[in-house]
Amino acid sequence: MMRPLLSLPVLLAAMLVASVGYAQTAGPAAIDYNRDVRQILSNNCYACHGPDAAKRQAGLRLDKQETALAALESDGHAIVPGDSGHSKLIARITSSDDEQVMPPPGAGRRLSAPEIATLRKWIDQGAKWKGHWSYLKIERPAVPAVSDAAWPKTPLDRFVLERLEREGLKPAPEADRSTLIRRLSFDVTGLPPTPAEVDAFVADPNPGAYEKLVDRLLASPRYGERMAQKWLDLARYADTNGYHIDNHRDMWRYREWVIDAFNRNLPFDRFTVEQIAGDLLPGATLPQKIASGFHRNVMVNFEGGADPAEYLTKYVVDRVTTTATVFLGTTLACTECHDHKYDPFTQREFYQLFAYFNSVPEQGLDGQKENPKPSIRVASPEQTAKSQEYVRQLAAVEARATAQLAGLTVDSSPAPLALAALAREYIWVDDAIPEGSTPEGQEKADSWHWVESPGPVLQGKRASERTAVGTSQHFFTGAKYPLLVGAGDKLVAHVFIDPANPPEQIMVQFNDGGTWEHRAYWGANKIDWGAADSPGRVAQGPLPEAGRWVRLEVDAAAVNLAPGAAVSGWACTQFGGHVFWDKLGIITCSPQGSQIHDHQETWELAEHLRPKSPAPAAVREAIKIAERDRSVEQKTVIRDYFARYFSTKTRAIFDPINAQIEQVQKAQADLEQSLSATMVMEEMSQPRETFVLTRGDFRAKGDKVAPGVPASLPPLPAGAPANRLGLAQWLVDPNHPLVARVTVNRYWQQYFGTGIVKTSEDFGTQGEWPSHPELIDWLASQFIESGWNVKELQKLIVMSAVYRQSSHVDPQVLKHDPYNRLLARGPRFRLDAEMIRDNALAVSGLLDGRIGGPSVSPYQPPGLWEEIGFGDSFTAQSYVQSHGTDLYRRGIYTYWKRALPYPPLVTFDAPNREVCTDVRARTNTPLQALVLLNDPAYVEAARVLAQRIMKEGGASESERIAFAFKLCTARAPQPRELDVLTQVFHAQLSKFKQNPQAATKLIGVGESPRPAGLDAGELAAWTALGNVLLNLDETITKG
Amino acid sequence: MDFEQQLSRSITRRTLLGQSARGLGGIALASLLGGGLQAETAAPGLATHGALPTLHFAPKAKRVIYLFMSGAPSHIDLYDNKPKLKELTGEELPKSVRGDQRITGMTSGQSKLLMVGPAYDFKRYGQCGAEITEMMPHIGSIADDIAIVRSMHTDPINHDPAVTYLLTGNQQPGRPTIGAWMAYGLGSVNKNLPEYVVLLSGGGGQPLLARYWGNGFLPSKYQGVQFRSTGDPVLYVSNPEGIDPATRRELLDGVQQLNRLQLEAVGDPEISTRIDAYEMAFRMQTSVPELMDIARENKEVLDMYGAQPGKASFANNCLLARRLAERDVRFVQLYHRDWDHHGNLPNELKRQCGICDQGSAALVKDLKQRGLLDETLVIWGGEFGRTAYSQGAISKNNFGRDHHPRCFSIWMAGGGIKPGITLGKTDDFGYNLVEDGVHANDFQATVLHLMGVDHKRLTFRFQGRDFRLTDVSGKVVDKLLA
Repeated sequence: MMRPLLSLPVLLAAMLVASVGYAQTAGPAAIDYNRDVRQILSNNCYACHGPDAAKRQAGLRLDKQETALAALESDGHAIVPGDSGHSKLIARITSSDDEQVMPPPGAGRRLSAPEIATLRKWIDQGAKWKGHWSYLKIERPAVPAVSDAAWPKTPLDRFVLERLEREGLKPAPEADRSTLIRRLSFDVTGLPPTPAEVDAFVADPNPGAYEKLVDRLLASPRYGERMAQKWLDLARYADTNGYHIDNHRDMWRYREWVIDAFNRNLPFDRFTVEQIAGDLLPGATLPQKIASGFHRNVMVNFEGGADPAEYLTKYVVDRVTTTATVFLGTTLACTECHDHKYDPFTQREFYQLFAYFNSVPEQGLDGQKENPKPSIRVASPEQTAKSQEYVRQLAAVEARATAQLAGLTVDSSPAPLALAALAREYIWVDDAIPEGSTPEGQEKADSWHWVESPGPVLQGKRASERTAVGTSQHFFTGAKYPLLVGAGDKLVAHVFIDPANPPEQIMVQFNDGGTWEHRAYWGANKIDWGAADSPGRVAQGPLPEAGRWVRLEVDAAAVNLAPGAAVSGWACTQFGGHVFWDKLGIITCSPQGSQIHDHQETWELAEHLRPKSPAPAAVREAIKIAERDRSVEQKTVIRDYFARYFSTKTRAIFDPINAQIEQVQKAQADLEQSLSATMVMEEMSQPRETFVLTRGDFRAKGDKVAPGVPASLPPLPAGAPANRLGLAQWLVDPNHPLVARVTVNRYWQQYFGTGIVKTSEDFGTQGEWPSHPELIDWLASQFIESGWNVKELQKLIVMSAVYRQSSHVDPQVLKHDPYNRLLARGPRFRLDAEMIRDNALAVSGLLDGRIGGPSVSPYQPPGLWEEIGFGDSFTAQSYVQSHGTDLYRRGIYTYWKRALPYPPLVTFDAPNREVCTDVRARTNTPLQALVLLNDPAYVEAARVLAQRIMKEGGASESERIAFAFKLCTARAPQPRELDVLTQVFHAQLSKFKQNPQAATKLIGVGESPRPAGLDAGELAAWTALGNVLLNLDETITKG
Repeated sequence: MDFEQQLSRSITRRTLLGQSARGLGGIALASLLGGGLQAETAAPGLATHGALPTLHFAPKAKRVIYLFMSGAPSHIDLYDNKPKLKELTGEELPKSVRGDQRITGMTSGQSKLLMVGPAYDFKRYGQCGAEITEMMPHIGSIADDIAIVRSMHTDPINHDPAVTYLLTGNQQPGRPTIGAWMAYGLGSVNKNLPEYVVLLSGGGGQPLLARYWGNGFLPSKYQGVQFRSTGDPVLYVSNPEGIDPATRRELLDGVQQLNRLQLEAVGDPEISTRIDAYEMAFRMQTSVPELMDIARENKEVLDMYGAQPGKASFANNCLLARRLAERDVRFVQLYHRDWDHHGNLPNELKRQCGICDQGSAALVKDLKQRGLLDETLVIWGGEFGRTAYSQGAISKNNFGRDHHPRCFSIWMAGGGIKPGITLGKTDDFGYNLVEDGVHANDFQATVLHLMGVDHKRLTFRFQGRDFRLTDVSGKVVDKLLA
């Protein structure tokens, strides 16, 4: 076994003497307040002697010069500039008396000797104060002079080199070209280069080859996906609501917007404004409204019994803290309850920011069925085209109908019989409930139990039945053709009571489209619906005789169904027992149902009786007029309508036409339903009032506050409106000290693993001092001057010599700078979770490159959602795996369920997106190994990679191995590496040849098709080799 | 373990010994640890494997098994007998008792809040005479080994925020759970298994979220790892079909050889960590299935728990918890989901007692007979209690209880807990605290204390602040300590 190059003890021993420049040291140099002193004071003293007035002790405030130098309440001065000996602060921090020493023993903090030395030295050197660096206006620093003038390729290289030279370090040589193209491809597009791209770049003798590559990658639509991945962590984008039952929401249009915004290089100031206040821009476009969904990505709750007011507050708090983290690099969470302990922000200012986000017309508890409001529907270009096509189709069919009607001869023969003679029994429910109605009742949609012979059936094939304990019923509502009640009509039902188990009471109820207050019952008065002895509960006498079918009749008038009433729902109800029902209907002279008529006259009568006619207004108006008084147009309108829908004589012509129209209309309705929804910001016409909430408690309202920005930062730009748009304009004002610094630092972090400020989410006094303070300011001012040009900034960084260095780890440099903060070498670290997935899909050729669209659901072990879920009456409780090419989409499109995000991504440190995440940890764990070794997605990728090897990898075994190795690492294997891989392959080949069953099983993993004609044993052996390659450190690392 | 942790650990153990911890190395270390933790010299025997260089005091417990009763079991019906309430059944809860206590939207609309007494009788159990419902005779049989806390209280009134609060110290998502804090602070003493393991009973009830065993702002490797009774016992631990263990070893050898060549060429210590991680993954492929195979237990043991190999159940999980404890897994959290009895409480409570009683008690007895109870802290309880008044109408066999955070009961056993005591007192209605209140933060502080950790000194710097499990409060409950 080979030993690791560095033994840890050696390395660690060296670290102890290393001068790690960005940590506080008590070195001989002049003390810089910001770099050396502020954090000692803020860490140890501010809790009681800082900005929080409520917690301040002894009146001493150390974060401001004038108060820190003032006379103490007791006597003397905490700090006497130039004289540590007379500074009480030094006396107290060095005291050995438990009563005197600071911080007090109970605080859990102690000052270290070097910290004390630093404070002493600082006071002796005059105790000079400076404002905290990140709150000062960004001044463009001069580019420093360096000794090695040949190395820098960009101005930013000089800042890095100057520091290296000060530390006595040299930059690393430029990485070789295959490393460079792989690094760059991952960094800019999130995907590996193809072997052809590698070869072309390696062979390109042009001095501008690298820049050409950079430009090509920045122009790739993959760039937007790559950049969006990071932004979606910040925006806490997810596909579920996050709290409690954690059901589905539609927000992927927002994800599409982010990808697109990066691809069209939307300047960062506009990117910011549209996300904070896109809806408030004058003439806001659909994309701008979608962009405003940034702050609708908050988790939303609807847990039963929760207080809506509490959660309305939570949503707004999240918007404030996320805005602060993302744009200000500032932690405001603590100011929800009290003034900030370390940074110059008050609780009142928190609620001033809160006021900006407090007027969204949203509900405290929402999202149970559809998107929490406000939400809009968005059509894709394809959907818009489809919708237009339907309109065209409808017009064409209508034209055909019109042409047919024009050629029709009129039959105006009168009805043969007196209308009264039409009176008859009309059966509405026999073997099924009426057309268009919804079955409901005790067991919801399953309430209608049907029994066939030999059970009691009066007519047709079946009867409904019910066995009950207590009150129980089955019913329906919403019949398309209601029963039309005329004068003297009776409603009819037939009932069969099981003599072995009779009920105490039976009841029929009628729904008139509004209420059920029309009930009749037989037997005991147990069911207490409706007022007793009213039409809402009419007694009809004793229970019918059991053991035979009994006809029941109810006077419509007795249950308050007057002529003209329309019964669209019917309930069969019972108290206990076993009851059968059949033949429900009406005895009436009114025409019923959707019948067609031989004569226009009888149809017109039915139309008169119909309370809610579906006929067009012109028909309904015309039909009210006596026949003789109708105009020619009116007669035509009525005649055409009758002919088109109700005349027995014209069915053959119009039924097909009507059916076609119905079909298109259904497709239109389906399309409308399928349009994706997305949550957006809106503003209430009357803003909600905002109050300071005492200790953050939503019930404890203090002073009322208006929207405003913190006093320690620049004021709002002149003319900024007092709403989110004004806040957005303030953020992107070129004078804002934080937004540009925070943003360039975050991009830097994307390339180098760590920001210039390591604590990229905290630029406050507790944040870490920048490794290159002038560099961050130079980049920030450059960024603003470029018009917030995001792609230009990326190009600036990747064109630098710093970025292009080899990442080879020199032991000496590692000792000096184990975390590469000084950048004496190129970045080398594990790929992000999504990139690891994308890489495996890309090298195998499985990757489906479609951009955008709804989230997809790759292979996932069964049961994971179900065992924590709340059942399928809610969405996103059961995992429904995708199939086909949806299995091979980039990681960014994976369904993000907050309660249980896709495990392979989480295992590689993807966050659950409950809250804004700035920095993903980069861990290195056994569970990661298990994912890459055994997750079917990676086993399938290895198999498809194997297919590719056999198809494209060349003839010889070593060519094929080299081909596969290069796909995964962008380089040719070294001879020793080739040896190892060859041995692995040989061993597997002989094994799988001998065990064809195992081979078949291995290559059977995954749903992608297996091409015919490949030898199973050989394919399995290459699959095993692919599994090895996809697990290499180098494969999942950006080197 | 990644590079950073390896560095900090090794500094602590090997290099800093004999040097002043306040020296330069101490500062470097503090910065490595995110600034949150102060470097300290390990006292003999107290060194940890995690981010804390040393325990703050000698630990009473080496590990925790937390039987989490999600949905919130009714204290009034299980551990906190209220004869007076029984007498007052059907009467309105006096306004003076309720005070300005917040109630949920599920009962705030009720015209009357009518009191209802315990559904079942209580019995006195053990030498100590602890009063426990007759529905849980097995737990009754360990009365002398457990400490019942009748005076727990918490802040949130709904499930999601209350579980989050009890386990992370904050009702809003984003913070680490107790198990994650332990994994981060103390690290693993086990070469083959994760330090924080989660087991779900199966079956319905209140929904769970992985946040309940989440890492919050800590690195993801500190989150609880779910061990499952169906499918892969740990996700992806099984080789794909067609790859047997010998083949896996061969392929792994190939990976490791190539990774070593890469380490040699590039010199990045992270590669060395990855090589170790792959070895542990391979060991887990054996250790996890072996651990999960409860059929290896003899029949007496299976019967004692009421465990049935081959399915997900609370009883099986109790047995698995013991097996995990034997293997030095530091934090084992069981989730049982179905204690949310807004209606039909008498039947539902009886059913849940039937499911949870025997396994819970068997775990304590089994740990005891194996000499593990002294060093294992067992906790049994939910996220809050239930109301003295009924949700909905009261009939002989049917009533419900709504959420009640103002007081509730849990029990703890083993690992430094004083056995055979009942701590705390509530009023005659089981509504308000009368004596020895234990707030959620106090409970958390006590659990950490038993593990040898000062809750104020296990911190993590995030967004400029040193966060801790107990946020800004929490007192160790001395009366619970043996």
